[in-house]
Amino acid sequence: MTASRTPAAPPILGLDGLLLTMADDEFVIGFSDSEWTGIAPLLEEDVAMSSLSQDELGHATALYGLLAELTGTDAAAIAYDREPAEYRHARLLDHGRGDWAMTIARRYLYETADATRLEALADGRWAPLAELVGKLQREERYHAMHIGSWFERLAGAVGEPRDRLLDALATLGPDAGTVFTPLSDEPALIEAGVLARPMAELEHEWRTRTTAMFARFDLSNLPPTRDPERGRTDHGADFAWLHGEFTKVRRGDPGATW
Amino acid sequence: MSDGAARSDPALEAWEVFRQEKEGDPMRHGGSVMAPDAELAIHYAREMYGRRQESVRLWVVRRADILDLEDPDLLQPPLDRSFKKPGGYVMRDKLAAAREAAGQAKPKARAK
Repeated sequence: MTASRTPAAPPILGLDGLLLTMADDEFVIGFSDSEWTGIAPLLEEDVAMSSLSQDELGHATALYGLLAELTGTDAAAIAYDREPAEYRHARLLDHGRGDWAMTIARRYLYETADATRLEALADGRWAPLAELVGKLQREERYHAMHIGSWFERLAGAVGEPRDRLLDALATLGPDAGTVFTPLSDEPALIEAGVLARPMAELEHEWRTRTTAMFARFDLSNLPPTRDPERGRTDHGADFAWLHGEFTKVRRGDPGATW
Repeated sequence: MSDGAARSDPALEAWEVFRQEKEGDPMRHGGSVMAPDAELAIHYAREMYGRRQESVRLWVVRRADILDLEDPDLLQPPLDRSFKKPGGYVMRDKLAAAREAAGQAKPKARAK
């Protein structure tokens, strides 16, 4: 590609790990939410959720692309050829699709956390990532509008819609903060000016915002993260199933050109 | 939409979507979406008529707010209206005579 996309030498310690976590997050939520295609609550929402899922997969493609350039590997191979245990997405995204309230709760928690993370990367000193983050943020504006509408709709309802949202938040709550699982080379990323602030600080900021939103709808605060050190490992049976689904076509004809 | 007040389950209703393909183009009717309120109508209009960068502007109108006129007495009255149409004034011969008087040839058809 162009010269500006050539990774700077010497390589920045931890950059590959950061890109992998971000790409895996977008990839997994994209595939998870695409499970609604054909069965969403109404036709328009079916198109909307499918389109949002495609957006997330597009973001994953761009992030895997950066990682592939950085490491001299193939983006599709990174995306599809790993075992489930090698994925580094947040445990928040490991829950099966569940009902609509579960999807809304998960998307809301993930999108708000991702927005906080993107803010801390937007002015980073590694230009290829900072440029990409600027583009992602423009697309995420609509995602935030969409999921905000749905979250407020369920939270502000009476009876079953709100009850289902409460159940979903109770299930997801202990995993919600895992998007901010500390990265192995986080100090190096901050030193290099790629990441503005530590994940722990970002998590605190996100929790402050979430608490304010939850208070408006009389929702209980999110609990602390369960087993925070392992927030991006040990993915469990639901993810193993999803992995089987999204690798099925590629495994069906290894090495095929698509 | 953003206050925490409880809402009852709203029924879906139809919204008509108009789209502008590029700056300066007229707004054209694109189609319709079903949505429970204006907020989701906007989201769905964006998904149906704008997600592939095919529009630079959308107008979303509640179908019930459109003033509908289809009264045949007003629009298709039975008496002869040909005298209201410009077709009654044939310009061809007059133009030909004027050109001849001015010594000009008929201009070629302009390319679109």
